[in-house]
Amino acid sequence: MAERASIRRRTKGETGMKLSRWKALMVVLSAFVLVGVACGGGSSKKALLDQVKESGKLRVATDPAYPPQSSYDEATGTWEGFDIDVATEVAKRLGVEVDWQTPTWDLITAGNWNDRWDISVGSMTPIKERQQVLDFSPPYYFVPAVVVIKNDSSFTSLDQLAGKSIGSCAPCTYSFYIDRTLDIPGFPATFVLPEDMQFTGYDTDSTALQNLELGRLDAVLTSLTTATAAIAAGSSFKLLGDPVFYEPDSMAIDKNASDPESLAAAVTQIVNEMHADGTLSTLSKKWFDGLDLSVSAAG
Amino acid sequence: MKSDPVGAETARPRGFWARLEQLNLRIPYNAKLGAVWVAIFAFLAVLFSQAHFDTAWMRKNAWFITKGLWVTVFIAAVSIFFAIILALLGALGRLSKNPIAYGVSGFYASFFRGTPLIVQMFLIYLGLPVIGQAFREPFRGWFLLSAIVSGIAALSLNYGAYMTEIFRAGILSVPHGQSEAAEALGMTYRQRMSRVILPQAFRVIIPPTGNEFIAMMKDTALVSLLGTQISWADPFRRATLLGRADFRNLEALVVAAAWYWILTGFFTFFQRRLETRMSTGYVRQAAITKRPAAGRFIPASAGGGAGGGASMVEVPPGETGPRSEERPG
Amino acid sequence: MNPQRAEDGNLVVRIEDLHKSFGHLEILKGINMDVREGEVVVIFGRSGSGKSTLLRCINFLEDPTSGAIEVGGIRLSGGHRNRAKREQIRQLRMRTGMVFQQFNLFPQMTALQNVIEGPVTVKRIPEQAAQTVGLEILARVGLADKAQEHPIRLSGGQQQRVAIARALAMEPEVMLFDEPTSALDPELIGEVLATMKSLATELHITMIVVTHEMGFAREVAHRMAFFHEGVILEEGTPDELFNHTRFPETRRFLDAVL
Repeated sequence: MAERASIRRRTKGETGMKLSRWKALMVVLSAFVLVGVACGGGSSKKALLDQVKESGKLRVATDPAYPPQSSYDEATGTWEGFDIDVATEVAKRLGVEVDWQTPTWDLITAGNWNDRWDISVGSMTPIKERQQVLDFSPPYYFVPAVVVIKNDSSFTSLDQLAGKSIGSCAPCTYSFYIDRTLDIPGFPATFVLPEDMQFTGYDTDSTALQNLELGRLDAVLTSLTTATAAIAAGSSFKLLGDPVFYEPDSMAIDKNASDPESLAAAVTQIVNEMHADGTLSTLSKKWFDGLDLSVSAAG
Repeated sequence: MKSDPVGAETARPRGFWARLEQLNLRIPYNAKLGAVWVAIFAFLAVLFSQAHFDTAWMRKNAWFITKGLWVTVFIAAVSIFFAIILALLGALGRLSKNPIAYGVSGFYASFFRGTPLIVQMFLIYLGLPVIGQAFREPFRGWFLLSAIVSGIAALSLNYGAYMTEIFRAGILSVPHGQSEAAEALGMTYRQRMSRVILPQAFRVIIPPTGNEFIAMMKDTALVSLLGTQISWADPFRRATLLGRADFRNLEALVVAAAWYWILTGFFTFFQRRLETRMSTGYVRQAAITKRPAAGRFIPASAGGGAGGGASMVEVPPGETGPRSEERPG
Repeated sequence: MNPQRAEDGNLVVRIEDLHKSFGHLEILKGINMDVREGEVVVIFGRSGSGKSTLLRCINFLEDPTSGAIEVGGIRLSGGHRNRAKREQIRQLRMRTGMVFQQFNLFPQMTALQNVIEGPVTVKRIPEQAAQTVGLEILARVGLADKAQEHPIRLSGGQQQRVAIARALAMEPEVMLFDEPTSALDPELIGEVLATMKSLATELHITMIVVTHEMGFAREVAHRMAFFHEGVILEEGTPDELFNHTRFPETRRFLDAVL
């Protein structure tokens, strides 16, 4: 009898301890979750501009493989390009350093950056859909969009592209232009390309151009700067006709950041200054073969 | 020659073909295999020269692209570590009578095997912060994972789900009698598992896990698609960056592919030696099947070890057991 | 040589109205048995009749459908296991030692490690002390020189003797033998039976043995039980069963076996 009772005590003791250890863990975890959730929602964060100034760093998102605007130079171990220089200048005028971030382009254009970076200086077109999630500076330059064909192609005018295959990055300004959904408030575009072309979208302009080289496409719609860089790098391309439109490119800030207007206002002022004092012209001529793209060649 | 009567074959020399066959029999297998590889590489070299690659560019940038391999190995090593833990928990859950354990592990395995790895990476990278919105500041930051951490998390969860099957099969391959003997001594579940079952299960689990690691090293390339920093760029990322910068995409990717191949070849060599060592002195007839179409490794040894002591093949240590389907080299 | 009946010793094992069904098939149809300290009970009968099930119910490797088992003062009945009952079963198992037909030694451990595994892990005896005792037990089964060998290097008979040592190391109140020699080559059976005999005659260990080895039964058993169609048909001393059976079924079985 006594033996059985002692066994019962022992078993209850051992299992009792195991049970309460689990229970305790559950209670702690639930309390943790509840406290965390209950105090969720709005945060009292500082204005974006103040955050940047205090940290001494402007986190700039750049598309890392888009020459000559932005590309990686392994000789120096850092980024180089028109967008790179522009962003560096903006940071300098804000009195801070640049901290380069390289997320994928889709993430940048979608907004809701979750405070992962502060600003995008990546030749982004301020189209209507993007304006819902991003605040844009005034354009800092205007990129002509051109049609690129192979050297040995027989096309001489844009109408001849009817029914042919054309490629570009997608989704991006050029793909919107091709399917005629491009809508940039303040900069209406006229759609001069034939409507019935077979379109294929690629992750970047570079890939589209590669496919043009391989013969999968008859033509590619891309920026003049990209086309020129490709030709200079040895691709056997030529341009077809004049630029079909002039794409304004701005800097973008996440509408979901805390007090984005603070930074947007500062940046807008800086962009206007850089236009006025000729900095943008100089940089443009440096990177785009002497062309000054900081003013629109469109009417 | 089928019409020849038996016996006439040896009497009549068949000339050229007979002599050729004799010669063929005398050449060692390895020499022939070597010749095949040489021929394949020669063929590739011809293709290579036809493509007119900018080999100067490749030579100049090869080292930079290769330097990213440490990221590959690092991500794979960290991820396989967590994947093993998840796989063990998953396997124990799938073997449990507890409905919570069984249900949760079933959901985990189903979801992470049923969705593409790249989708999982994006879900973690983009979706977790959204959940984090519900929390206040110090905790909120925990949900905002960088690209690399998101990649590691996705790889761990994904591979853990697949390896759950490997671990489960490994645990089941331990003869039931072992568990009974442990129980009869009065061991608790935890003692049984850690002292008796898992040590034996690991002999079956380790070789396929090694293969998962090798496969994972290639899947780490997907992390680049989340947009990794240059300081954490793997060969694929480096190849795309340089390739696009200089409009040499193909050359860059060929270099990256070559280095991934060398890396996996290196690890595969050690993997084969590991598999051989695991079966010496302790041979269970575990025929390790080749990868099924889904690309996952599942040992066919479940059920192959029934019977406990009496059914073990006794192989003195030092001799190799029967090899699994491996060709030398 | 017929050992004396140990009728007056303490009760070690009591099996009370034990029933066991697998689905609709009833294997044990009401077993009642008492085993006293120092007794050697041999249970015999046709293969597959449920003798092993009976033995495995004693340490709850099988769950009785109904009825009760009492070992060393712990009394448990069949049915659902909750956490408390699992612990009690564990306590009960610490009082029983089991030797399996397939030996079931732990292959990744040496013979000595196998022997001390129970005391060290389950009873939390310090390893040094356990090793000393373990070596003694291995010596008793005649395998002191094989202490550092892995099971795979041992013959079947040696493995089974290590298994006996492993069970003994827990100092159980009763040893359960589930057809311990059925998986052995004939020339190895003898050494195992000899070991078992020495346990009975020298250590006076309480043993319940399920076996076909009638010679062993005749020599060592205090009592024999004929298991037939789910019940213990006949029970008695070896002399009674071999020479004065009451049931024709018993006679028929013994004639066929001997």
